[in-house]
Amino acid sequence: MARDHLVTRRVARWLDQRLGSAKLARTALGKVFPDHWSFLIGEIALYAFVVLLVTGVYLTFFFDPSIEEVVYRGSYEPLRGVEMSQAYASALDISFDVRAGLVMRQIHHWAALLFLAAMVVHLMRVFFTGAFRRPRELNWIIGITLLILSIFNGFAGYSLLDDQLSGTGLRIAYSITLSIPLVGTWLASFLFGGEFPGPDIINRLYVIHILLLPALIIVLLTAHLGLVVRHKHTQFGGRGRTERNVVGEPVWPRFAFKSIGLMLLTAAVLAALGGLAQINPVWLYGPFEPANVSAASQPDWYMAWLDGALRVFPPWEARAFGYTVPNPFFPAVLLAGGTFALLYLWPFLEARFTSDTLEHHLLDRPRNRPVRTSLGAATVAFYTVLSLSASTDVVAVTFGTSVNGVLVAFRVACLVVPPVVGLTTYRLCRELQLRDEAAGMAPPERPRIRWELLRVWEWHARRRARAAPTDP
Amino acid sequence: MARARRLRRAPGPWRLPVVVGLAAVATGLALAGTSAAAPTAGPARQGPEPDLVAEGRALYRTSCVSCHGVEGAGQRAPDGALRGPSLEDVGPAGAYYQLTSGRMPIGNPDDLPQRKEPAYSPEEIEALLAYIDTITEGPPVPEVDPESGDVAAGGTLYRENCQSCHSATGAGGALSYGNAAPPLGPPDARQIGAAVRAGPDPMPRFGPDLLTDQQLDDLIAYVEYLDDPDDRGGLALGRLGPIPEGFLIWVGGLGLLLVAAFWMGTRRRDAPRVDPEPPGDEADPGTAGVDAGGNAPLARAADGERDGP
Amino acid sequence: MTGSDADDPEAPRGCLGCSGDGPPPPATGPADGPGADPHAARRAEVAVATGFLASTAGAIGLAVVYWRGGQPQLEGLFLALALGGLGLGFVLWSRRFMPHQPVVEARHPIASTEEEIDRFRDEFEQGEVILTRRKLLVRTAGLAVGALGAALLFPLRSLGPRPGKGLKETPYGRGVYLVTADNQRVRAEDVNRDGVLTVFPEVAADPEEAEEPPRPEHQADSSTLLIRPSGTPRPQRGRDGWTVDGLVAYSKLCTHVGCPVGLYQADTHLLLCPCHQSTFDVLDGARPVFGPATRPLPQLPIGLDAEGYVVAEGDFAAPPGPGFWDRDR
Repeated sequence: MARDHLVTRRVARWLDQRLGSAKLARTALGKVFPDHWSFLIGEIALYAFVVLLVTGVYLTFFFDPSIEEVVYRGSYEPLRGVEMSQAYASALDISFDVRAGLVMRQIHHWAALLFLAAMVVHLMRVFFTGAFRRPRELNWIIGITLLILSIFNGFAGYSLLDDQLSGTGLRIAYSITLSIPLVGTWLASFLFGGEFPGPDIINRLYVIHILLLPALIIVLLTAHLGLVVRHKHTQFGGRGRTERNVVGEPVWPRFAFKSIGLMLLTAAVLAALGGLAQINPVWLYGPFEPANVSAASQPDWYMAWLDGALRVFPPWEARAFGYTVPNPFFPAVLLAGGTFALLYLWPFLEARFTSDTLEHHLLDRPRNRPVRTSLGAATVAFYTVLSLSASTDVVAVTFGTSVNGVLVAFRVACLVVPPVVGLTTYRLCRELQLRDEAAGMAPPERPRIRWELLRVWEWHARRRARAAPTDP
Repeated sequence: MARARRLRRAPGPWRLPVVVGLAAVATGLALAGTSAAAPTAGPARQGPEPDLVAEGRALYRTSCVSCHGVEGAGQRAPDGALRGPSLEDVGPAGAYYQLTSGRMPIGNPDDLPQRKEPAYSPEEIEALLAYIDTITEGPPVPEVDPESGDVAAGGTLYRENCQSCHSATGAGGALSYGNAAPPLGPPDARQIGAAVRAGPDPMPRFGPDLLTDQQLDDLIAYVEYLDDPDDRGGLALGRLGPIPEGFLIWVGGLGLLLVAAFWMGTRRRDAPRVDPEPPGDEADPGTAGVDAGGNAPLARAADGERDGP
Repeated sequence: MTGSDADDPEAPRGCLGCSGDGPPPPATGPADGPGADPHAARRAEVAVATGFLASTAGAIGLAVVYWRGGQPQLEGLFLALALGGLGLGFVLWSRRFMPHQPVVEARHPIASTEEEIDRFRDEFEQGEVILTRRKLLVRTAGLAVGALGAALLFPLRSLGPRPGKGLKETPYGRGVYLVTADNQRVRAEDVNRDGVLTVFPEVAADPEEAEEPPRPEHQADSSTLLIRPSGTPRPQRGRDGWTVDGLVAYSKLCTHVGCPVGLYQADTHLLLCPCHQSTFDVLDGARPVFGPATRPLPQLPIGLDAEGYVVAEGDFAAPPGPGFWDRDR
């Protein structure tokens, strides 16, 4: 044991002479992280991403992103002799003829689903506790960008396999791009290299999926974590926790081992799923043929809200002077764009409406911000109903009802459920606040919400008043 | 896909001997205690069996005529609503499908037909088929031989013709206004062949020029494969695609990990009290150190007032 | 987490990196700190060790399964055991044996002091003013940077061709034969009543490559449904002679977002798109009767040639597939 110490000490000194690492390591390992359980959700997302990287690299050794037609000669009998793209054939090879290939492929796909789920829950945690306020607006923006990039990367990833189900999704993506006014046809031509399916789509998706988007994600993720270190993590108030301190565990040794443990547990859950639960059995879907389609075609869960929006949006279209704004533009482009625009702007909107531009390092308990919490809950409810709307045909078949009726029901639900959820949440928050007060807890200071800013017609007068103040 | 060639219709006198021949084989199988479809011998050239047709007519008049009318002409209720459609192009194939899957006879004609136990024995069904054959013009029950079918070719045919309604995995799918394309398992080769040839409402009909007999055998071989496909990835989750996968990742994946996080992290209420003064830091003017459970504003008021209301 | 020491005013609260003068932090966790139950410590140790041993077993199992040919479920299970045992062990180790007293660190406001900002601004502006003094240089530099940026965008043009007539036209024209996916021409009587067949235009092929199926690019936009419905199609304005022998042909691409409309319901003569449930009435020019589609499936005029094969009599009535900005121009 004595020799061990000596060796590690020698190595540490060697590194320090070249990097100055001792001082850096002391600061880094001494950083204090508040240890509330909900702060681990972002870590779960991070570790799912690590699993994605590791399994993804493995898969790149076996996948062939070529759209060239070949005749399948592998070991899956029901497709032997069938013509298919090289990409699909290599996916079949990974699933049937590469040892451990299927388990790696499945872990990779489950990890993508988990990555996005954890990101969404992490986003909700940050939102409901107000952790996006100054100075963390930049980090919020980086986080939303990470979400968007990951959604696209997931879509690109499962479309690589050139199976019937994902090919249908690609066709829908092409048509949505086409629907953008003025530039849609050009954008679609640039993305696909021509008309659908294009001569080279799989290769382009491959570059996007293994190089462009992961590189962007890694850079932004590093910035995201760097900002957390720079700003220090937020914490809940109470029991000596203030805006001027950070109370928690030091990185070394407890937090580090807890985090490594969580990483291994995340990987373990993904490994179990990858081996025990079949995901995306492309051999049953068959190779992509543009003229074929299967019943019960849905995208992966993180795009279900888009599919649901496409289904429930009524058949409205705008046509004038020979120009068309086609129907899919409204649910797929406008709604999606509006969603993310609102997400990006939220910290600034809230700051404006609450006149609160101070630095905040203490988190809100959601009940103490009933307006924010109920608006957020209503939004979550809206996107949940939209996501469930993607399953209209499966719901109809499972429950033996008319798919037409199910669709109408979901349309109504999209409009009715969010306000109901919002109002209920608001009442719940007030109830909990009253209970806190009864239990003797002092109510925290709540900002006044400047609802008058919503009066659009007053903006002009307000701007004029600000430009020419009455008192010199 | 069917190769384009001249239409070949079996001329009239052939049909009845074929049916009788099939009836003879079917009766033999029923006596032997098996119900599996088997490659049939060539059509036996026998004369019509009047007893079988009469038996069929009697059965028809007992339970079918009330909705489908005399001689299969169809029946309307007094208020004009359709009670039972005409059977004019159902044929033995259509009748075979409906009877062996238990869809017909149906209790309430306004209900959608559901698969259930057949109401008739195989002999009674043969009798009914013999009678139906005399009153309709539809396709005969096909002779099927899925053992000779090529699963790969059948898969291609299935994906071209069938998966859009029955889904890629044979799980079935929704149709308009409450109708549904049923799941395809457990497979009965002859029943599948009869359904394909007869096109029971609302299914389209695939005659011998759209799908040759060999193609039908290939197709049935693939449908039989779909009953027990390669699920080497693990739990099949109903083979419904991304929907159950999404549910599983939220409940079994993230749900499990959130439980783990809840266990290994701390809860706000259990956090121990600390002295808010960080050690070694010079006394910071204006540190509030408020134990309010809410937000304590920072001491540096200048930051806030710059962007006032 | 037991907080038995937290209320003790003498409780140490130093941390790595702090410049505090307090006594060094304890090297014990809740299980083996002062006042801890030694049996509990032993139990915790056994738990952690079991985790690590289970992990080892999992790793060995994984190696064995792989060496013996591999099996996905066992691979996943053993990998999960190997990772999970290790992870659980680390988490338990940290919770039971590593110091758990909360540590307090100072947090300083992010924003710099006014003096620092002013100092930075002065120093920066000293450099900046040198630049802005020379207006001509600033302007020409701006011009050059802008031009370079714009020029660098030009190679993006190579990503795809100009969207052209291909979006509005298909290989169909007068006299083009309808063929199946196997490149076989179709006779009218091949499609029985209540039958539906997916067909494509016969692409004029190279004489040497006569047996090649149509290129996907051609198939993708021009897949067509040839239907013989059991009812009579209602006559459509300006479309006399577009049907032949009871057969009617429509584009298979949904006018919503382009999925193939594969579900033909023979009894109600409705075509249902499985993607978003747009429904089209085959007897009424395939106009949409339900769902998000706004335009009917474009009809293809068909006729027969001298030998009874089905031919197109022209291109689709409208550009097939989903809408786009200048579709109607």
